Amino acid sequence: MTLFNVLIVTVACLLGVGLYGLLITRNLIKIVVVLQLLVKSVVLAFVVAGNVSGHPGIGESVAATIIVADTIVAVVALALAVQVRIRFGTLDIPKISSLRG
Amino acid sequence: MTGLLVPSLILVPWLGALVVWRVGDSRPKWQHGLAVSFSVLAGIVSLILIPQASSDVAFSLPMGKLFGELTFIADGLSVALAAIACVVGSLAVLFAVDYMHGEHQLGRFYTFVLLFIGAMTGLVLTSNLLFLFFFWEITALCSYALISFYNDDPKAVAGGMKALIITQFGGVGLLAGALTVFGTLGTYQIPDLLARFSELTPNLLAVMGFGFLLAAAAKSAQFPFHTWLPDAMEAPTPISALIHAATMVNAGVYLLARFYPVFEHVPGWTFAVMLVGMISALITAVMALTAMDLKRALAYSTVSQLGYMVYAIGAGGIFASQFHLLSHAVFKALLFLAAGSVIHSAGTRDMRRMGGLGKQMPFVRNVFILGALALAGLPIMNGFWSKELILEEGLLHTPLWAHIGMLIGAGLTAFYTLRMTWMVFFGEPREALHAHDAGTAMKVSLGILAVGSLTTWLLAGPFSSLLERTLPFHEFHVLTLDTLAEEIFLAPATYIALGVVALGLAISWMVRKQATGPVPAALEALSRESFGLDWLNQQVVKLMSQSASAMQKTQTGEMNWNVVGIIGALVVVLGILLWSAS
Amino acid sequence: MNVPMFTLLVGIPLVSSPVVYLFGRLTTRAQVLTRQGWIVRLLALLAVAATWFPFINLWLEFQARGNRMFFNIESIWLQLDGISFLLAAMVLTLGTLAILFSGRYMAGDFGEEKYYAMLLAMIGLMIGLGCANDLFNLWVWFEAMAVSSYLLVAFYREQPGSLEAGMKYVVQSAVGSALALLGIALVLAQTGTLDMDQIRLMVGTMELNKLGLLAAGALFFIGFGVKVAMVPLHTWLPDAHSQAPSGISAMLSGVVIEAGLVAMLRALSTLTGFALSWGWLLLAFGALNMLYGNLLALQQSQVKRMLAFSSLSHIGYILMGLGIALVSGQPAGAQGAAFHLFTHMLMKGLAFLAVGAVMYALFHEQGIHRPLVAHDLNGISTRYPWVALSLSIALLALGGLPPLAGFMSKWQIFVAGFQSGNGWLMGFVIFAAVNSVISLAYYAPLVNRMYRRVTATSVKKGSDTIHWTMQLPLLLMALAVVVIGLFPSLMNWLTEPAGAALMSIFQ
Repeated sequence: MTLFNVLIVTVACLLGVGLYGLLITRNLIKIVVVLQLLVKSVVLAFVVAGNVSGHPGIGESVAATIIVADTIVAVVALALAVQVRIRFGTLDIPKISSLRG
Repeated sequence: MTGLLVPSLILVPWLGALVVWRVGDSRPKWQHGLAVSFSVLAGIVSLILIPQASSDVAFSLPMGKLFGELTFIADGLSVALAAIACVVGSLAVLFAVDYMHGEHQLGRFYTFVLLFIGAMTGLVLTSNLLFLFFFWEITALCSYALISFYNDDPKAVAGGMKALIITQFGGVGLLAGALTVFGTLGTYQIPDLLARFSELTPNLLAVMGFGFLLAAAAKSAQFPFHTWLPDAMEAPTPISALIHAATMVNAGVYLLARFYPVFEHVPGWTFAVMLVGMISALITAVMALTAMDLKRALAYSTVSQLGYMVYAIGAGGIFASQFHLLSHAVFKALLFLAAGSVIHSAGTRDMRRMGGLGKQMPFVRNVFILGALALAGLPIMNGFWSKELILEEGLLHTPLWAHIGMLIGAGLTAFYTLRMTWMVFFGEPREALHAHDAGTAMKVSLGILAVGSLTTWLLAGPFSSLLERTLPFHEFHVLTLDTLAEEIFLAPATYIALGVVALGLAISWMVRKQATGPVPAALEALSRESFGLDWLNQQVVKLMSQSASAMQKTQTGEMNWNVVGIIGALVVVLGILLWSAS
Repeated sequence: MNVPMFTLLVGIPLVSSPVVYLFGRLTTRAQVLTRQGWIVRLLALLAVAATWFPFINLWLEFQARGNRMFFNIESIWLQLDGISFLLAAMVLTLGTLAILFSGRYMAGDFGEEKYYAMLLAMIGLMIGLGCANDLFNLWVWFEAMAVSSYLLVAFYREQPGSLEAGMKYVVQSAVGSALALLGIALVLAQTGTLDMDQIRLMVGTMELNKLGLLAAGALFFIGFGVKVAMVPLHTWLPDAHSQAPSGISAMLSGVVIEAGLVAMLRALSTLTGFALSWGWLLLAFGALNMLYGNLLALQQSQVKRMLAFSSLSHIGYILMGLGIALVSGQPAGAQGAAFHLFTHMLMKGLAFLAVGAVMYALFHEQGIHRPLVAHDLNGISTRYPWVALSLSIALLALGGLPPLAGFMSKWQIFVAGFQSGNGWLMGFVIFAAVNSVISLAYYAPLVNRMYRRVTATSVKKGSDTIHWTMQLPLLLMALAVVVIGLFPSLMNWLTEPAGAALMSIFQ
């Protein structure tokens, strides 16, 4: 198995774990963690894509930018989660879901 | 001259609407006065326009390439209907001065009435199919606003909603027709369509024809859409007279008459039109027999008479249908307004509580009887001539069973008309209602309409020659009074029809004492549910709300399920793409 | 110093955002000069008004050249075509009016300066998004815009509802943008470039791995589609749009989801011609959106939530117009969709702002925080006649009553469907028309309520007047809805180039 194949498999696994995690996780903080997993798989995918296409520079610079952008999103999400914990007293998703229908 | 008159016929009432609205509800006298002045002005302009009718474009304004030119053609059909709208409109407004005296929110009332009058004239005068649709929608909106005028009453709100949804649903048929014309011929001009319809494929023509029939049936409250009109009776009575008897409900008949040359040869179209008219005329006549609410009885009768007009178009009798439209507009407005003054002074719409009111309000009784005679089709009222003309066209151009059906309808009409008149004005008073005769404004408008019911048939000659002269795509025979009288009095069919009417009257006279008593159960059940159509309406509404609340469950509000939606959609889209690429 | 106009167009809002924030902190909290919030409001308004200047200049240049223009900010190349101008015009129009409206609405709220800073940033980022010419660049604008909108949705952070809505919005958007990124990675792996024009060229001419491109297409469709709120990706929208401050609800419904749509179209346009036409997918989702949005709107009692569902159904019309254009290959549908984007911005913006004005008068001034339900509209015309009139115009236009703007843009889409001569497209049009009728069943009763004589108790307790800075935007927009309805060709200058640009990228 080449390095390339290992990376592809890793991307797929991270992606799968991320999506699956989003379906079953019932805790807001954990949701944010799972989201990070999902995005990291994409970062890896860019590095691989850059190499496959013969333009590793593009892939790497994009990956770096995504990490920055994603950190901002994570910070916002965590800040919201903290507020949710303060106002609702819980991070359990069913308990904070009142808007429906 | 005509070029300015035509748009002013729309703009005068609309300007009036604006003025009455801005005057504000704190000055009711001004509102009454201004509304009457603007509507009477429109009425006068509409009468001046009649002798200037021609088939040329009277006014045109380019609106950009997708919307065509806003054009108006004041031909015979248009000016006649515009005059009905404006004249009956001004009489209804005049009547409302007494009827709406002391009501709140007069501004809203008059604004929408005037808006309606303008839109109605626009509907009949424009020769651009897209703008026809615009005016069509505006009249529906005004009708909705006025049915729900007493909008703190849930019944009025529900009635308005029902009318709006049903007529708008029908409007989709008109929309599809307009789109087809523009999509294939690249124009919205009605004369272009009348001249070039053979360029359309038979399938498209059929789709359009039945689309227009759908629109017309919904607007004119014909089977199977007749359920909205009785519920629309929650409107103030001048509105019922103007919109739901004399003008807006005629728009469907107008549409069919206007486009008759296009669809005449579409297979099954004329038969379908005839059938829709006949079924509507018959079932609502039966429903009018069992109604206990004065206004609902008149509403059923309106649907029934509109059924006669639609039937006439199915039989190819365009003139007969338009002639009856004229007669009906006059005598039904008269009946509604007279009923309005009864309701206004008696304070109830239930005929079981009335009786013997004729002594207290002799003027109203007298004009109501004139209207009733015209409705029943007795000579020499206007309703007699036009109905006989329709029956004659029917005998010539439709199967015998259809003709017989319409004859039975005529008998039923006589039956329920006498029943209604008797229950309200004659016999012993069943309750001590303190009624008083109509006020001055009411009397003026009732008087004018009563004279009209006696005399409008004299217009048969000029009306037919006007139509013949200005509608190049239709076929008309000029009918002078002599030929009309000859045709009607020499045809045996007339005497058969009169016999049936007399029979109806006789039966009605014999059972008059039982009129307030229980109606035969089977009949009552059938008409209460509008022959099952109301049930169908309710089922549609129920289906909608059930599927809506089922769908509502998909909005779980939980984040995990939301992500399920995303992943599920991704899988589906990927699947579709793979399938399409393979 | 000679600053290029384009830099100003994106730069003014982006640079003024931190400036407004700093001034706000100094005045409202540190109280350096004064404790008044008007400096912040005025600065924000001036910033957005100033942005019109480069916009008009660029538009004149675009008119003169008649072709798309390229610009660079340092090493980033951007383009200006009909779509960019459409989006910029929408963003600036609604942005200006929303900021004017918010002056009173948000006055004295904690964190007012953050509100304006974020709003300005969002405006600049959306204009930039419309100009992106490179897939990753597109994503960066998209993500930055999303971040600024997260903060605005969850602006009332003391309210559980807006926190919940904000959380859902963040998570779903993040999932969507990760999927879109994955799509970009797949494209990069195959083509070795991120430039959209080059990718389009390579997809058209070279033998590439079809499976990879298909997967990338699906990922773009869904990833960006989350922001467009296509059913079933829409679940965040009703919450976010109903919980945000009204000015933001207007922006979200009027331009943000549309910006998402532009991003989706730009990305999808690079991958045309190797599988099913995107048009059919757009049509299918459009039909679903219309029906679902309408049926759920029927069930709502909260006015803002109902308007949010109505946005779903209007996105459906826009998708249908685009679908018709792509399937038939005629620009008419795209132009209709562009027109409906614009009119929907006006109508929905107006509806949300008018509802906001009512909420402000009935609740906020009384220190109450609760959603406005349909019952609260009973008889508002007796107290706030102009607000009631503008809201009525907005609702009737949304319901598609002629001759208001909403009908005209729908009509343009419908005509495109029938001109194609394709029976399926005609069927979609009829379906859409029936849906318009269904939608009247929830718009008309609201209008009716406003003109009742018996007023709701909440209306009786409401404040006596509504400040002119709140009424003025409403009246302007209501006027625009009527005038554009009467003279629909007035907007051709904007919609024609946008339709043409859409067709040219999807060739």
